[in-house]
Amino acid sequence: MKRYFTDIWETLTTILGGMGITLVHLIRARNDNVTLQYPEERWPRPERNIGFEHSNYNVIRSRLHVDMDDCIGCLKCERACPVDCIKIETEKAPNRGEDIKDIQHIGVTTNGTRKALVVTRFDIDMTECCYCNLCTYPCPEECIFMTGGPNAKKHPIDYEFSEPDRSDLIYRFAKPGTKDGIENIMSENKAEV
Amino acid sequence: MTVDLIFDFLNQFFTSLSGNEFLLLVAILIPCVVLFGFITIYALVVIYTELKVSSFIQDKVGPMGQGVGLHAGKWGLLQPIADALKLLSKEDIIPSSANSPLFVLAPFMIFVGAFISFVALPFGDSIIIADLNIGIFYILGVGSLAVISLILAGWSSNNKWSLYGGMRSAAQIVSYEIPAGISLITVIMLAGTLNMQDIIIYQQGGIFNWILFDNPFIPVAFVIYFISALAETNRTPFDLPESESELVAGFVTEYSGMRYAFFFLSEYANMFVVSAVAATGFLGGWQSPFPNALNSPGWGVFWMMGKTFFLIFIMIWIRWTVPRLRVDQLMNVCWKVFLPIGLVNIFGVAIWTVLFGG
Repeated sequence: MKRYFTDIWETLTTILGGMGITLVHLIRARNDNVTLQYPEERWPRPERNIGFEHSNYNVIRSRLHVDMDDCIGCLKCERACPVDCIKIETEKAPNRGEDIKDIQHIGVTTNGTRKALVVTRFDIDMTECCYCNLCTYPCPEECIFMTGGPNAKKHPIDYEFSEPDRSDLIYRFAKPGTKDGIENIMSENKAEV
Repeated sequence: MTVDLIFDFLNQFFTSLSGNEFLLLVAILIPCVVLFGFITIYALVVIYTELKVSSFIQDKVGPMGQGVGLHAGKWGLLQPIADALKLLSKEDIIPSSANSPLFVLAPFMIFVGAFISFVALPFGDSIIIADLNIGIFYILGVGSLAVISLILAGWSSNNKWSLYGGMRSAAQIVSYEIPAGISLITVIMLAGTLNMQDIIIYQQGGIFNWILFDNPFIPVAFVIYFISALAETNRTPFDLPESESELVAGFVTEYSGMRYAFFFLSEYANMFVVSAVAATGFLGGWQSPFPNALNSPGWGVFWMMGKTFFLIFIMIWIRWTVPRLRVDQLMNVCWKVFLPIGLVNIFGVAIWTVLFGG
C-alpha cells in the first residue's frame, strides 16, 4: 500500500521535474539553440595551422579562380592539369599590349606583361577538378589560384559551391561575348586590308 | 441559443418565408460554416505552435525563413499553410484490399465526432450554439464517437498495424472515459447542474470562486480529468494507437492526403474540446479571473480562449517532455490509479461540502 502512494508521488514529481527542464529550454531557446540558419549564418572558419606560414606556401585547396585581366593565354595550366578539366581557347590580338574596349580586353597585366592573345574561352569544370593545385604553380602571371588562404586578398575563400544543375559547376571565366567580339574585330580588320 | 437568434433574425428579414423549415436549415448551417472555419484556422495556429514549441524545447529553431518563396515566410509563419496545401494536393489512395466504403467513411465520422462537440461549448454569456441542459453529458457522450471511427479506420484498412492501432485506441478511449467522467462528476456535484452555462455562472466572482479552488479535493479531480483527456485525444504520452516506433502510424497507416488531414484536424479539434471542457468545469469558463472587472462579452471570449489555449499549450508541453507509456502501464494507470482515486475523491468532495459548505 505504501508502495502504491510513493509510486504515484514519484510519478508526479518526476513528470513535473521533467516539465521544468523542458520549460527552461523553451524559455531559453534563443540562447541555447544549436541550429544554424545556414545561408544567412555560417560557422566561423577555424584558424588552420599547417605547420608553416600560409603566405609561404600556396597549399590551400578550395576552388579555382582565374583573374581574366591577368591571363595571357599561355595554356600552361591546361597542360599541367592531370584530369584535363581546364579548356582554353585564344585568338591573336590585333595589336599586342593594347586594350580593346568593345570586349573589355586589357592589354597589359599587373606584372607588366603585354598580352599577345585574347582568351575567348576559359572553362574550368569543377566537377572534374581534383584540387591538386598543380595548375597554379606554372602560371607566370599568378592569375589562376585557389580562393582564400594566402590569396584571400585577391578572392575570399569560397568552398560552398553547390549548384542545382551539374552543368552550372563548369565555371566560364572568359568575359561573355569575347569570342564573337574578337571575331567581328578580326573580320573588320581583314576587310580594311 | 445562437441558432434561435439567427432563426428569429432570418424570420424578421425574410418575412415572406417566415416560419419556413428552409430558414431553420439556413440558421443551422451558418454556425456550422463559422465553426468549420474556426476549427481550420485554429488547427493551423496550433500546428504552428506545436512545431515551434517542440523545436524550442529541443533547442532548435523550428520552421524559419526570410520571405515568401522557397522559404516558409517570416519565422516560418507560412509553414502550416504549406502543410495544409501539401495534404490537399496529395494523391488520395484507397488500398485495393481495404473495405472501401468503411475506409472512406471513417475520417468523416471522426471529424463529425469532434465537430458536434463544439455545439455545446460556451464562449460567452450568449455565445453558445446550443445551450443544452445536459451540455457536459452531451460532450462526454459524443466524445466517445471517436472510438467507433478509430476502430472503423483500423479494421477497414485491412492492415495489421492499423488493426492494432484501432484496437488499442478502443481499449484506451473506453477506459479513460471513466476517470474523465468520474472527475467531472465532482464538478457537477458542486455546481448542481449539467448545463455548461450554469456551471460557469456558479463560478462567478473572481479566481477564488472557480471550482478548482472551491475545495481541496478538486485539484486532484482536475489532474485526473486532464490526464484522461490527454489519453482520449490520443496524444503523447498516450499515443499508443499511432505509436510510430511500433505501429508505423497506427490506424492512419493507410490514409493519405485529405483523409489523413481529417484525422489530424479532428485530433486538434478534440484537443480544443477537452481543454474547453476543463476550462469550463474547473477554470471558470468565460468568467474573468478578477471580480467585477473585464467581464464584458468580448472579454468573455478572450478569457475562454485564453484558458483553453493555455491548457492546449500544457498538452503540447507534456507531449514533448514525457515518453510514451507501454500498453499494460496505460491500463494500470487507468484502472488501478485513476479510478480508485477518482472514486475516493468524489467522497472527499462530498464530505468536505457537507462539513464546510460549498
